[in-house]
Amino acid sequence: MKPVLIPTTDVNSESGLLVEWLAGDRGEVKAGETIAEIETSKAIIEVPAPEAGFLLHGVREGAEVRLNEPVAYLFDDTGALEAYAEEQRRLRAEATKSGPRATAPARRRADELGVDLASIGGGQLITVGMVEAAAGGPGQSNAAAAGPGQFNAVAAPADLPDPLPGTPGVPRIALVGAGLGATQVIDILRAAGSGTAVAAVDDDAALWADEVMGVPVVGGLEQLVTLFGKDAFDAAIITISTSVPARVRLRAALAANGIPLVNAIDPTARVASDVSFGTGNVVAAFCHFGVGTVVGDNNFLSAYNSYDHHNRLGSDISTGPACMTSGLVVLGDRVRLGTGIYVEPHVELGDDVQVASGSVIVASVPAGHVVKRRVVTTAVVPRRQTT
Amino acid sequence: MIAARAIGDALRAALDEDSRVILLGEDLVDPYGGAFKVTRGLSTDFPGRVRSTPISEGTVVGVCAGLALSGYRPIAEIMFGDFLTLCFDQIVNHIAKYEAMYNGKVTCPVIIRTPSGGGRGYGPTHSQSLEKHFLGVPHLRVVASSLVHDPAVVLRALLAQDSPVLLIEHKLLYPLHLTLPAGGRIEHDIAEQHLSADGLPTVSIRPVPREDCSFTVLAYGYQAELARRVLARLAVEEEIFGELVVASQISPLDWAPVDASVSVTRRLLVIEESVEGFTWGSEVAARISSRFFGELRQPVVTAASDPTVIPSSKTLEARMLMTSDRVERAIRQVAA
Repeated sequence: MKPVLIPTTDVNSESGLLVEWLAGDRGEVKAGETIAEIETSKAIIEVPAPEAGFLLHGVREGAEVRLNEPVAYLFDDTGALEAYAEEQRRLRAEATKSGPRATAPARRRADELGVDLASIGGGQLITVGMVEAAAGGPGQSNAAAAGPGQFNAVAAPADLPDPLPGTPGVPRIALVGAGLGATQVIDILRAAGSGTAVAAVDDDAALWADEVMGVPVVGGLEQLVTLFGKDAFDAAIITISTSVPARVRLRAALAANGIPLVNAIDPTARVASDVSFGTGNVVAAFCHFGVGTVVGDNNFLSAYNSYDHHNRLGSDISTGPACMTSGLVVLGDRVRLGTGIYVEPHVELGDDVQVASGSVIVASVPAGHVVKRRVVTTAVVPRRQTT
Repeated sequence: MIAARAIGDALRAALDEDSRVILLGEDLVDPYGGAFKVTRGLSTDFPGRVRSTPISEGTVVGVCAGLALSGYRPIAEIMFGDFLTLCFDQIVNHIAKYEAMYNGKVTCPVIIRTPSGGGRGYGPTHSQSLEKHFLGVPHLRVVASSLVHDPAVVLRALLAQDSPVLLIEHKLLYPLHLTLPAGGRIEHDIAEQHLSADGLPTVSIRPVPREDCSFTVLAYGYQAELARRVLARLAVEEEIFGELVVASQISPLDWAPVDASVSVTRRLLVIEESVEGFTWGSEVAARISSRFFGELRQPVVTAASDPTVIPSSKTLEARMLMTSDRVERAIRQVAA
């Protein structure tokens, strides 16, 4: 098979009109014979057969042709021609059987969640959001998509380690998440003596049977439910600090299985009079809670956070170090604070508010909003070399 | 239908519908039919009303001014937009002023069509987009052809009013097919056409509903086509969703469709092929920044060609003009 190209030097046209076929479809042509005429915006171009053979038309008369694409094909015999024509027919038929239009990320997400794109109708471009909505909500993973209380059905290996026995009279704590957050919580528990970390679990099976600061990683969440049924621990703490959605999801999963949470408060924290904590809070070193402050559940508050008097903190909040609030500040549920943030008195941060590091908040932020801040980086230059 | 033929058909319809319409320009007459073949066939069908002129752009436009003052509807073709400098005096000092100078007692409705833009390797004096020098001239309309506006609709609207018009046609658009909005769509995208009080269209194109678009791209002419292709690809491949607003009249600009989009997306990129600095984009950025101060999520981004002379080498030309790659980079910047 040899493609027939349009001989043109016309730089002004990308396509032309096939005016007329001068040689018949499937007919025999001689080398150099003019087989077609193409009209561009500038001129009519004659197309010669580059060699002798049997001609297969690539386009209809009157059709648009791209000047850099073949208009026809030449074959040594009619058998090869018919075989090629048949193959092209088959490919065209396949190409027209395209499914619904979806973005590439949406196709990947649909594969992950097992969603049939054809079930999302409407003739519009299918996005990740639409796939997740069809799967029953925005999930972090399959576990979330399946709903709280149901976990990834990953087969647990038989030789997972047992939890530590713990110390009599001291609450035995299971850590949810075996990453760096777990090391912080273990350190707080050791300093505070309010509990003993006896086991850690993690979604990441690669961490299983490993240990965090001497605490064995006993498997995933499913294993946690099994161990709770065997009375291997008394309460759990969620150690994941950076992902608010993960904290929310894990708290719901633990609650669905009746596993209680417990606080881990560093002994260097200063808790003033009339302060109340919910449960499942992690409070790192040197935090301060002013008089009359109320803290909800399942918050991860990093070092040097100061919540001055009569603050009200919701639940599932995660903060970086050195967040300072003035009096009478309200933080809604699932608020995420970066590092080094100051908040003026009476300010209310609504649910799901996120605040960039280094912000100074002088006015209330409505729920679901993000506080951005231009980050100024001091120029970094190599030190001057002196000899 | 390719743009060159659609514009030719629009001119044919104008000649047909209005006996005051006269076409003047260099080498318009058949068999040559104009350098880009837009007027091919018209001199044969309308002899005497479609005329080739001597090689003097000042004369072509000056004669048009006289014809317009005498009640005709002259349409001049300047073979390359670069030669507009040769009629700058006629346009700015005379044609655009008559109506105001004579307190509305006369009008001078000249339409000046010209191909603009690079990408063909035509070098420093046949590749420029000089329309930026005509923006903001009082009483002068600057209009740009695109693939999403019907040339017949645009030309009819321009002939129905009395202000002089500079009509820019990017030469890379001539061989491309029009992609007019049909049934609220352009290909797979949602397309919405807004008509100004004078009947000039602005088309807004988006892959998903406006509420799901995180930025607006404002463009005209060939740059609008580059942006449309890049946006369609980024939408499907990466879920980067932006709304493209394609203006036909770029000066004075019809702000309503721009404001409608930016008030939702709150991010704006303005693209043009003119060299950067004191551009259409600067004016839009100033206006939008003022109108939406405190509401924009980031400063308006402008993208234009490098401020230098256009080289003849296609390779070197592609490094300084707004190409598809540069359009994509600008879009990623505003989408980040």
